[in-house]
Amino acid sequence: MNLLKIKKDGQEPQQEKKKMTISYKNQKRIWAAIFLAPWLAGFFFLFLFPLIQSFIYSFYELTPVSGAINQTFVGFQNYIYAINEHVTTSSSSFKVELLNTTADSLINLPVLLIFSLFIAVLLNMKFRGRAAIRAIFFIPVILNSAAVATALGGGDVITQILEQSGIDRIFDLEFYLIQTGLTPIIVTFIVGLIGRIYDILALAGVPILLFLASIQSVPKHLYEAAKIEGATSYEMFWLITLPNVSPHIVTVTVYALVDTFLTSPVSGIISDELKRQAWGLSSAMAWIYVGTIIVMLGSLAVLAKGLKIGGSHYEN
Amino acid sequence: MKTNIYDAVKKSVTGYIDKVTEPRVVFKRQRQIKAFIGGLIRYIFLIGLCFVILFPTIQQILMALRAPGDVNNPAVIWIPENWSIQNIKISMIVLDYWRALVNTFRLSVIVMVLQLASTALAGYAFSRLKFKGSNILFILVILTIIIPPQALSLSQYLYFRDLRLIGKESSIYMMSGLGMGIRSGIFIYIFRQFFRGLPKELEESAMIDGASVFRTFWNVMLPNARGAMVTVGLFAFVWQWNDAYFVKIFEVSTEQFPLLTMELINAVTGLKAALLYTGAINLVGQDVWENPLYLALISNVSALLMMLPLLFMYLFVQKGFVESIERTGIVG
Repeated sequence: MNLLKIKKDGQEPQQEKKKMTISYKNQKRIWAAIFLAPWLAGFFFLFLFPLIQSFIYSFYELTPVSGAINQTFVGFQNYIYAINEHVTTSSSSFKVELLNTTADSLINLPVLLIFSLFIAVLLNMKFRGRAAIRAIFFIPVILNSAAVATALGGGDVITQILEQSGIDRIFDLEFYLIQTGLTPIIVTFIVGLIGRIYDILALAGVPILLFLASIQSVPKHLYEAAKIEGATSYEMFWLITLPNVSPHIVTVTVYALVDTFLTSPVSGIISDELKRQAWGLSSAMAWIYVGTIIVMLGSLAVLAKGLKIGGSHYEN
Repeated sequence: MKTNIYDAVKKSVTGYIDKVTEPRVVFKRQRQIKAFIGGLIRYIFLIGLCFVILFPTIQQILMALRAPGDVNNPAVIWIPENWSIQNIKISMIVLDYWRALVNTFRLSVIVMVLQLASTALAGYAFSRLKFKGSNILFILVILTIIIPPQALSLSQYLYFRDLRLIGKESSIYMMSGLGMGIRSGIFIYIFRQFFRGLPKELEESAMIDGASVFRTFWNVMLPNARGAMVTVGLFAFVWQWNDAYFVKIFEVSTEQFPLLTMELINAVTGLKAALLYTGAINLVGQDVWENPLYLALISNVSALLMMLPLLFMYLFVQKGFVESIERTGIVG
């Protein structure tokens, strides 16, 4: 007990110093440096340096010549081109996709947050078969893959052939529902809903996981006390679960926002330009993308601060 | 005698009514009914969503097991009329399946181990080995989560080209070993939160018993962090398995070292050529492979073949994974 107190004060006891040549605190510092060494090396060589370089590249026109790269300074030309003139092969453009993704994510984020919190609360309750249902809910996280999505879309070529011959997909839910005799309006509604449910479920895997974990970490005695006082589970959700989970809403939001952008057509366009060796242009696009995300995160942070979501419920 | 029976019946009936209408019993019954209805709604909702999740996968498995001639047989919707593994055989030839599977598995396992090592060390240092400026460094970790890989790929490519690592799997290993792999930032975040949630007494008692910092980490903290390890390990494995971006940028998938994702994308974008090139086309008649629907079916089966090993492994890991959420909150 005595030792602990001394340690907390930050002073090393005299006897210990004689035994160990390096104090525990300094030992900790040394080990911190060792533990962080791989990450720091990676950060400088594989993150910071490429980041700065790509920022510089975004102002240049880069043309690969054998063994080297020709650089010509073009100022903001790349940025202007990306926003005003860029058109992709599938008659879409960087600007349109960026605006679409931004708007989509603004609409989807609240839905995603509420949905995943709701599911997390449901999955946290005790009922028979909970383990099996939980296991099923994380399957979309595992199957969420760009390659699989391409293949399931049948690939561009095949999709084109199929569209030309008037056939959409092999297994078209819409087609089967219409065959059962439902009116087209209901059918499109159901199909749209189901399509979106799967998308949301695929995106919601990690948020559900994060929420579930944070619900688990709420002290159990709070619920016990509330139960003894006669609170309903509805009241317990609003007064105990939600305030305790709210610090993690920010985490989940950041994750979901970044994830939405990473899987959006915008990052596809940037990769395509990269493949086309339009390096300056793709760097400029990447920086526009980064700028958008940072602006969105910044405004979310301001919003969270304004609404007092975030900081711990009890400490403040 | 008659009255006696009447009395007895009346007594028992009123007794029963009294018993039933007693406030405490009524309250209890109401609660039971409420719980039952709540449970029912919950089950309907959850099972419905589970159906939405499982439906496409089951559908694809059944579709894959159809005979090639039955592709546009309108009579077949769910259960194949003629069972056959011909489609799977063809997809396996197109994908160069077994070699690609072994390679992908090897790559994913090594990346998983490297990611676990680098992110667990960094997460521990950020949570337990605090020093001046460690919070600023942690903001940089958040930055690595936010910045898209596309902004970095070009310089990374040129960098690896100078090191002569392009076209080799070691480029991916280097990325993940140095904590810059696929979403490493999130893993560091998870480990940090997790280690922060472990009681301080563990560390203190280890210190008093004379354990060094590394020993404390290795023998005391890490065994307690099994939950986070399972979660991070699963994600690192799965994301590497599904990754098509880095593998493409660093040209890891080659003729000698095929990987499933790239084989799948290549096969799907030029399926007819792939069928011709691998000779898989001889397994079915011309009337079948000229059917665009059949080509779509083969690409679906190929995607299924890529997902199946993951699903199969998930069946074994899921218990530990679900329990790891149960026992310990990842978020501290």
